[in-house]
Amino acid sequence: MVIGFSGIGSAQVKIRFQTWHWGEKPVFFALEEFMNGFNKANPGIEVVRDDSRYADKESVYIAQSQAKSAADIAHFLHRAIPQLADRGYIMDLTPFIEKEGGQKFLDQWDPKALEVCKYKGKIYCLPDYANPLALLYNTVHYKEAGLDPNKPPATWVEFLDYARKLTRAGRYGVGLIGARQEGLFMRLNPWIWSAGGDYLTPDNKRSALDTPEALEGFKFYIELSTKHKVVPPGVIEQGAQEVRTQMAHEKVSMNVAVIQAPLIIKAINPNINVPEVFAAAPIPVNKKKVTTVEYGMRVISAFTKNPEETWKVYKSWYSKDVQMRNFNIYGVISARLDVKNSPDIGKNKFAKVFAAQGPYTKIEPSIPEWPKIGDAMITAVQEAFSGMKTPEAALRDAHLATNRALGVQ
Amino acid sequence: MASGRTWHDRHIGYFFIFPATLMLVAVLVFPAFITMKLSLTPEGGSGRGLTLGHYQKAFQDPVLLKTFLNTFAFVAWSLVGHLTVGLTLALALNQALPGQTFFRLVALIPWTIPDVVAGIIFRWALNPIFGCINPLIRVVFPSFPAEFQWLSNPTLAFPSVILANIWRGYPLVMVMLLAGLMAIPRQLYEAAEVDGAGRMRRFWHVTLPGLSTIILIALALDMVWEFRRFALVLTMTGGGPGTLTEVLSTLVYKTYFQFFTFEYASAMAILMSIVLFLLSMPYIILVGRKQ
Repeated sequence: MVIGFSGIGSAQVKIRFQTWHWGEKPVFFALEEFMNGFNKANPGIEVVRDDSRYADKESVYIAQSQAKSAADIAHFLHRAIPQLADRGYIMDLTPFIEKEGGQKFLDQWDPKALEVCKYKGKIYCLPDYANPLALLYNTVHYKEAGLDPNKPPATWVEFLDYARKLTRAGRYGVGLIGARQEGLFMRLNPWIWSAGGDYLTPDNKRSALDTPEALEGFKFYIELSTKHKVVPPGVIEQGAQEVRTQMAHEKVSMNVAVIQAPLIIKAINPNINVPEVFAAAPIPVNKKKVTTVEYGMRVISAFTKNPEETWKVYKSWYSKDVQMRNFNIYGVISARLDVKNSPDIGKNKFAKVFAAQGPYTKIEPSIPEWPKIGDAMITAVQEAFSGMKTPEAALRDAHLATNRALGVQ
Repeated sequence: MASGRTWHDRHIGYFFIFPATLMLVAVLVFPAFITMKLSLTPEGGSGRGLTLGHYQKAFQDPVLLKTFLNTFAFVAWSLVGHLTVGLTLALALNQALPGQTFFRLVALIPWTIPDVVAGIIFRWALNPIFGCINPLIRVVFPSFPAEFQWLSNPTLAFPSVILANIWRGYPLVMVMLLAGLMAIPRQLYEAAEVDGAGRMRRFWHVTLPGLSTIILIALALDMVWEFRRFALVLTMTGGGPGTLTEVLSTLVYKTYFQFFTFEYASAMAILMSIVLFLLSMPYIILVGRKQ
């Protein structure tokens, strides 16, 4: 009798799965397939959609966490992990990982990506995807400008030369980001680092923006617009999506991009034959071959009422099948080694170039002060782009603001 | 002598205002109390003691001071614009013209558009590549630069945001002034006309005195709204170029949600509320006197 009743009345445990991609094709298809597949295979658990937006994913999650009602599983980029962990909003996954086999379980993921999930001796996430950035360029524009599409620029000198030649007939050589958003760093970092500069000293205690190398990288980025005029006007109004729109409408010919860019460009302008027209290459090098990487990760809320069920959903999202399907549907490169190294990645024209940048990736310092430092850098970039300050003065102010954020007297 | 009112009659009013009071406590008083408490909590929520350190820091913070000045300028120019456009349109729409109702509805449209949408519309319209403002100007002035920069220009970014805000916010002032204009007795104008007063004199000596109280109330209310303006600025410029268009609400948001410094952001918010309360005092006194 009791069994009969429990069968009829068994409550579904709802697990809220939050991401900013729910309304976005083609990612939506991958999410929906995961949700439907999991729900069918696990009658006692129901994965439900929970929306956030890219620009305010942190603010939504903070407000929800303060009300102790955050989504059970939420999607973030690597920059947010230290702050969320410090405030106690996300769960330490170590006990679950130990149950799954500890280090042997963790060995399935790219160790570099896994490092981003570790903070103060605890593991707060598993890396979902690791998308190195590369140069995306329009081969038709190359041909029209008399450039060989099979020989993309390998050095800064070549890059500037190509950008100048591509700036013609109402088009611009390069699309840059100057808007106040975290996507700016993914495009600025390679230039700072390739010149041999960095944001902080190796111990993360002081600003390193006062070095000639940091200035060289910063100045190169700024002067593409202010001096060489190879960037469309209004650069500080351009975010990642605006630059992709410029590429899709053939206003710009080159862009430092994430691997999803070709699919997004196709979605913006379905008339453009993306696999034919576009190609990818490593980011041109100055002193060091280096690029940056977009690490996406899912976290579990510290306030989840159903940790076991949440972990089950979480683990399922990170399974090889789901991660492989995600690559096939929306092109992200999984941080799971068996997916990242699968033959499918090597067969894809764009993925093989982006994935090959993996060994050269680096990210900004994972410290709680980064948002303030990043904000100072964006201010410097905008002040220099708009001519309010020279690149030297703007970077000097960012250097001082960085040291203030770090408490350096 | 007994008034004849029963206990029930005297207290029924409390019953009616109870739900609204409860709602206000839930959405206003309680969050204000939490924010106040947070503003006195040490950084990171650590320790049990209270501190005034965040307020001390705020008084020495040059960024906060600059943002206060930006906000005052933003509010002042917005108010001037709202009054000028609102009064002009209210005077025009008070005339007995064919299609008067239609024009009154059209003039209200900006008020119906959410801040975020208005911000996105203006950001797009002013975009040097894909925007519509530059091509429109070039229709009249063909030599105007095709890719002129508005929001990226340090001189024009702030005025552009203020102009967008004037467009979005003038209908509130316009509607209030229109109601005021309709309440001015016709006989006053007729008497002035008989005395030989021209259009301008009638405006100065009849219309403006008749509207003075409403103008004060409209501006006081508008000031409170504009002081808190957030989404329009955030979507149009994000506070840039640099921090040129940063206003208090965007700074508090950034400090709280992006820097994760909840305690300091709360202190900023409390200071902002105090300033806003002080600025609202003339309105509160005026309304009190009227009652």
